[in-house]
Amino acid sequence: MSETRLIEVRRNVFKKNDLLARELRARYRDAGTRVISLVSSPGSGKTAFLERTLTELRGRFRVAALVGDLATDNDAARLARTQVPVKQITTGTVCHLDAEMVQDALEEWTLSDLDFLFIENVGNLVCPSSYDLGESLRAVLMSVTEGEDKPRKYPTIFHSADVAIITKIDLADAVEFDRAAARASIEAVRPGMKVLEVSARTGAGMPEWLAEIER
Amino acid sequence: MHELSIAVSIVDAVCEELQRRGDPRLIAVHLTMGALSGVVKESLLFAYDAACEGTPLAGTQLVIEETPGEEFLVTALEIEDERDAAD
Repeated sequence: MSETRLIEVRRNVFKKNDLLARELRARYRDAGTRVISLVSSPGSGKTAFLERTLTELRGRFRVAALVGDLATDNDAARLARTQVPVKQITTGTVCHLDAEMVQDALEEWTLSDLDFLFIENVGNLVCPSSYDLGESLRAVLMSVTEGEDKPRKYPTIFHSADVAIITKIDLADAVEFDRAAARASIEAVRPGMKVLEVSARTGAGMPEWLAEIER
Repeated sequence: MHELSIAVSIVDAVCEELQRRGDPRLIAVHLTMGALSGVVKESLLFAYDAACEGTPLAGTQLVIEETPGEEFLVTALEIEDERDAAD
């Protein structure tokens, strides 16, 4: 029987994506484009929130959006109503966006024509956490209908994000949403994380969100 | 299938490393997986076999060491010792 031996490698498996994300980050910076990504579970209101955000920004800034889904271009069609450039990335069976998909989607756009680029990730609280897209801000969304302990159940994605946004806050009373418990859950996973409460329907909390991204 | 795309990344990375080392015969890939990396061990093991099919990694083993933290690294390649193989 032949002998075996170990050769040490120490190679980061996400290296390819991380390198590409670093390149993208440099491109965004050189173009002066602020890139913000949104992650959440399906149905937490990412698209409604993004629609409202695009509508409120478009008069003052040059904005565009990329939206990821496994199938359909429903979200892109919906966001197109805001009259800003929108492109759908359909991932097929892949449960997250990666830096290469973003790079490909950006091919026809001139970044320096954009002040803000929004990237709506595939609705998923697990996989997107491992993939850096070069964004300067990652917002994780959770809606009041999902339960206050989402952050504790999915710590990795909350840990990878910069700001937490509690959506559908206009429904908080109807579903007896416990704000303090939700905030404690976020704080337990990512101490000091900024938390915003918004409603895309009523516009509550939108000024705070816009102030956060326009800084 | 998140783990499948990760398994494919592992196979790509290992293929490169093998090529750089003169294509030794691979027995196993040793991997360090942080608990915060967001990867499920069982799914990854399953996906690994599928990703290896039709590559120089077919039939090799994935040995996963779980650690706290976020790191996700191929730490070592277990290869057949050439000195012995030459006998």
